[in-house]
Amino acid sequence: MKNWQRAKSDANFRKQLLVRGQIVNAIRSFFKSEGFLEVETPLLVKHPGTEPYLEVFQTELRVAGQAPQPAFLLTSPELSMKKLLSAGFGSMFQICKSFRNEEGVSSFHNPEFTILEWYRVNADYTDIMDDFEKLMLHILRELGHTGSELTYQSKTYDLNAPWERISIARAFEKYAGVDEETLLSEEKLKSAAVAMGYNVTVDTSWEEVYNQILLNEIEPRLGVDGPTVLYDYPASQAALSRRKTDDSRFAERFEVYLAGLELGNAFTELTDPSEQRQRMENDLAERRQLGKTEYGLDEDFLAALGDMPPTGGIAVGVDRLVMLFADAPTLDETLFFPAKDLFDLSPEEV
Amino acid sequence: MPEIKAGNIRKGMYILFKNQPFLVTKTDFMSPGKGSAFMRVKMRGVKSEATQEFTYKSTESVEQLDISSVEMQYLYEDGSVVVFMNPRDYDQVEVPRKLLEDKLDLLTPDVKVYIMFYDDEAIGASLPPKVTLEVVEAEEAVAGNTVGQARKEVKLETGLLVQAPLFVKKGDKLIIDTDSKTYVSRG
Repeated sequence: MKNWQRAKSDANFRKQLLVRGQIVNAIRSFFKSEGFLEVETPLLVKHPGTEPYLEVFQTELRVAGQAPQPAFLLTSPELSMKKLLSAGFGSMFQICKSFRNEEGVSSFHNPEFTILEWYRVNADYTDIMDDFEKLMLHILRELGHTGSELTYQSKTYDLNAPWERISIARAFEKYAGVDEETLLSEEKLKSAAVAMGYNVTVDTSWEEVYNQILLNEIEPRLGVDGPTVLYDYPASQAALSRRKTDDSRFAERFEVYLAGLELGNAFTELTDPSEQRQRMENDLAERRQLGKTEYGLDEDFLAALGDMPPTGGIAVGVDRLVMLFADAPTLDETLFFPAKDLFDLSPEEV
Repeated sequence: MPEIKAGNIRKGMYILFKNQPFLVTKTDFMSPGKGSAFMRVKMRGVKSEATQEFTYKSTESVEQLDISSVEMQYLYEDGSVVVFMNPRDYDQVEVPRKLLEDKLDLLTPDVKVYIMFYDDEAIGASLPPKVTLEVVEAEEAVAGNTVGQARKEVKLETGLLVQAPLFVKKGDKLIIDTDSKTYVSRG
């Protein structure tokens, strides 16, 4: 049965679907009370983000009397928002749709999803950790909960600040017995993975081994009693974050985990245009190698970056917040029209 | 034994994990930190029944078990086993009840069941997506209780309880979705 049909007769499901609107209201009221500006930037863009592993939806822009040109649905509004930051608009947030193609079917993905991004100027990633703690407690209160506890799928989590904070290096040591030197060496990390029983071949990359250990040994141990902030990623996983000034092998990036879900990805934003150009060119080269859709660099973004104030920023999956607060076991069950219903997708047939 | 890429593992498949046969009960695509793709697989040991979770690189090779499936007819339950018969050669086979626990309230002699064998041992059963079952108990619809939720609980011949529309009455044949065990339509 499709969700909109199920909603006709299932009163609890109806109520579950309506939690989304309440959460979006709570997010708005939180950022407005913090003095953030709400912005709206394009979903249809010429230059999407360059993340090598994300695939885009491509279309074509046709304007009478002009040559058609490729156009893309964005994978995140980050580049546009950073142009506005460099134009001096100050701390800002946005709630919008983003799109990712070629992702497999899962309980917590939909090809079209709702993203919340916020940027705090004259701040770094630790300020974003504080913002996130306050935001989650604010949503809880706005939904009528008293206290700081959230029950999800029969398990109770405490959202009270401060959340557990653990660095990647510490987490590898604690949960996988991998020390910092081993973590950062391709050869040593591969040997450690073989000793743990993983399937490693000459074609296996450092990134694959690192992520497989992260997914199998570490992630299941995060966000078990309350949210966990996993911070300071190896520099190769920095994406658009700044390297640490006291240890350039790591970058100021964090992710938040709760109840088996990855809720958000945050950076102290990189504001160095030449390093950013280098990373994006590497990304585009990797995209070519992986056979992903190709497009050019957003030169406006790179030109803007030099004027961007020191900023902390984050992208949060709103659908996953809805899952948690509505106690929905899957992301599909927070949507009126999941892609599964629209396109008749089923895990067995994809 | 055939090998498949972990990215193609699906719910309902049988795979070899650490040299033990497992039934895949759930799969989730993952792309940690916008990185390369992984497949998180939840599985249940065919022999041990222990549940296990493992995240594979989606390009990794995984051994898929050679499972043969044979269409069988449900006969009866007998203590800890459920007895099925092959309608072609009348061969009978016993399947441990614990392997069918979630399907027992869908079985009638009219339901086509595929019994799965691994190394000549029955390890599970697969049902068609929909089955037809008769209503054995249904209350008369109560007027005035129809706002929003025009449904009532009815009992089927197998003992299964489902929510059905108010017009359903005793003796009706209902089409039931075997995955969610919910009402689809009148048969």
